[in-house]
Amino acid sequence: MSYEAFLADEPVIVTAALTGGVHGKEANPNLPETPEEIGQAAAAVEDAGASVVHLHARRPNGERSFETDRFQEIDDAVRRHADDVIVQHSTGGTGAPADVRHLPLRTDPPPEMASLDMGPLNRYDHLTSENSRALIDSLHAEMVDRGIKPELEVFNDGHLNELYGLCERRDLADPVYATLIFGPGTLSRPRPRNLLNAIDSLPDDAAFNTIGFGRHQLPFATMGILFGGHVRVGLEDNVYYRRGELAESNAQLVERVVRVARELGREVASPSQARDLLGLRE
Amino acid sequence: MACPYLAYRTQAGDAQFDEPRAYCTVADRFVQAMRADICNDRYGLAHDEHCEIYLGCADDGGGGTDQRRDRSGGNP
Ligand code: SF4
Repeated sequence: MSYEAFLADEPVIVTAALTGGVHGKEANPNLPETPEEIGQAAAAVEDAGASVVHLHARRPNGERSFETDRFQEIDDAVRRHADDVIVQHSTGGTGAPADVRHLPLRTDPPPEMASLDMGPLNRYDHLTSENSRALIDSLHAEMVDRGIKPELEVFNDGHLNELYGLCERRDLADPVYATLIFGPGTLSRPRPRNLLNAIDSLPDDAAFNTIGFGRHQLPFATMGILFGGHVRVGLEDNVYYRRGELAESNAQLVERVVRVARELGREVASPSQARDLLGLRE
Repeated sequence: MACPYLAYRTQAGDAQFDEPRAYCTVADRFVQAMRADICNDRYGLAHDEHCEIYLGCADDGGGGTDQRRDRSGGNP
């Protein structure tokens, strides 16, 4: 996928990362944490133009949960409130042991998609989220068994090599869907040429999604739209609407990126179109 | 064993919550969800190994800071 997709009027898939697992309401009180709040947020972003919701689970006090039952409660609330949105579970989890990382894949029904981190990244000063190849392979195997489309999370250029390695080790269904992530720390430096290089480095026919953390969310989403990719926005990745002003909701961030896409001449994909683009229907 | 500096509070400053949340009494702030697992020594994480605020306290006999939030971005 490339600028050709832009020229071909391919619709853009907007993913909303509603809650995340790092910061919470202590960073922005508008960030949804409970299943009911997440379900309502899913309906609001779907109305605003998102076709995928990226979900983490939390305990009632906002702390992380990886339990299948907690994801089930969230999915049930999303399906109660939203119409047809695609559910994508995170399998990320700094510090969580491998068996725990599999739990989000085991809801009934399984999520249509799940994230798959392509390699290690540092956290705080004394912690690394390891994401070993063995864990990546075992998560991918369970995704295949359960009919879940992996969203390959590329946090830096080294993870592009890891993506190629995964493609060599395992049989990935078309299209390979890679999320290119830009921001601080272990992430690729958020510079436009780094996005272009990452796009150029993807396997032929791969589709890509674009994330910029924090203040980079809007410019990287805009570039992702122009360069023929898809985009992710939401309070997981950025709690501000503009400098010094907290976002009111996930929907507010989705509405803005949908306006940008339309101004640039790209329609946003419906959930049905997103399923076709991502090969979710066999 | 949880960090001795961990407390659970519903209110601090302007912030107010329905459920008691993890609060660091060294940094004087509510902590991030991911850090709360370190504070509680969950999943093999350990406050005396993985928290720079705790380790800063241990080094200087108190007065560590939490000015450095996680700079590695979200947890996609
Ligand atoms: S942030 Fe660090 S010092 Fe503060 S309570 Fe948690 S582990 Fe202890």
